Amino acid sequence: MITGVLLILVSSFINPANSQTPKVFIPAGSFHSVLPEVKGEPIQVNPFFMDETAVTNEQYVKFLRSNPDWRRSEIPPIFTYDGYLRNWDSDLEPNYDSVGKDRPVTRVSWYAASAYCSAQGGRLPTLNEWEYSAQLLGIDDIAEMNRFSSKLISWYSGIDVNNLPEVGSTGIETTAGVKDQFGLIMEWVADFKPIIADEISLDCGTVGRMQTLNSIYSYAASIRYITRMSFNPKITTGMLGFRCAYDEPDHSDENKNEVTL
Amino acid sequence: MRSVLIFMILFAVTGIGEVNAQDMQHQHDHKQETLKAGNIQSDYSLYHLDSEFITHRGEGVKLSEFSGEPVIVVMFYGNCTQVCPILIQDSWRLYSSLSETAKTTVNVLAVSFDTENDSPEVLAEYAKDEQLDISGWHFVTGKDADIRMLAMMLGVKYQKDSSGNFAHSNLISVLDAEGNVVKRVEGLNQPMDEAASVIETISQRSEQMN
Repeated sequence: MITGVLLILVSSFINPANSQTPKVFIPAGSFHSVLPEVKGEPIQVNPFFMDETAVTNEQYVKFLRSNPDWRRSEIPPIFTYDGYLRNWDSDLEPNYDSVGKDRPVTRVSWYAASAYCSAQGGRLPTLNEWEYSAQLLGIDDIAEMNRFSSKLISWYSGIDVNNLPEVGSTGIETTAGVKDQFGLIMEWVADFKPIIADEISLDCGTVGRMQTLNSIYSYAASIRYITRMSFNPKITTGMLGFRCAYDEPDHSDENKNEVTL
Repeated sequence: MRSVLIFMILFAVTGIGEVNAQDMQHQHDHKQETLKAGNIQSDYSLYHLDSEFITHRGEGVKLSEFSGEPVIVVMFYGNCTQVCPILIQDSWRLYSSLSETAKTTVNVLAVSFDTENDSPEVLAEYAKDEQLDISGWHFVTGKDADIRMLAMMLGVKYQKDSSGNFAHSNLISVLDAEGNVVKRVEGLNQPMDEAASVIETISQRSEQMN
């Protein structure tokens, strides 16, 4: 944990005037999944880095400037359905008045999100990495956790896609320092359809087949897992954005330092 | 309380289902795509994936470099001792059932999703051990995000467990000259005659073009 904090400090020190989102260190650990494939056994997660906040419209424009293949008029249909960035004025103009500079970019397909992260030297977080990070809430009191989870459930049933808050504004932050994993948008993960999705049909019995783990949080998690399993990599919806994960802190910055030293 | 929650969850799921259905319709009326000259002809070609991969011969390669000829793609990982040897064996069975002409035109891409362990050197060793370090066969690795992207385009799922093993789909895909997936063989020890005849047809067509 101390290393984590130090690394965050170091990376913000290296990038003082950089508009890039800070990368937060997530220490190794484990969590319990609601998927029925892993009864009892906690899932181990290796240490990794993840963006502090979701990717914003402004950051996405920056990516499109240097990656024209992913602009709305250029992207081939194998990578998205027609709704890709549909609410933008044009290829490089989101119309910040309506979608906001610092609001999360949404209406991006899994492929586009993945290409963005690849261009940043990262990748989408795996499902387990995202879920593990999300539950590091530091809420020990069961009653408080239940209140939080109930709020979460009602939030999942009504995300207002036309009035998304800015990134970093939800006040929900993990103990590692990752912001808005709840309360802002749904987020793409690398393997949003886990192997077991083939066996779980999305019907009335699906929730019953998820593990309850004796908590309201597990119901909220079940909603999230099931919703994700219903996605396919080409869909674009107003409530679905992303953030990137990294195996290591920024190498390019380290190299820069070596050169200047 | 419980039944209310379940109701809400179902409501949430149904909502998403509708979004999906709407998006599904959109795929049929997508915009006219602007293609650069000499570029990929098909909207649904895998060759739109512009990333660079690296072969067991240490060569950088883009998927589009294989265009014009049929391609067999299989995803596996080197440390896999149970299922993957069968999957590679299945690919070999498909390859070896082809005519001599088709064998010379077809390329086999065996792509590893174990980006951590399967370096080009490890894959070279693997190819040698399997006696598959032969012309037209390429054991390939790449950046994690690019491998994940290719897997998603093919419909291959994989998931690493804490012991470093992967749960994964067993799938062999055949690409036509433009990079479209034209045949998928799912599961192990499947009959290969259909896939083989698809490759023969593509191979004859690309021979005629040359």
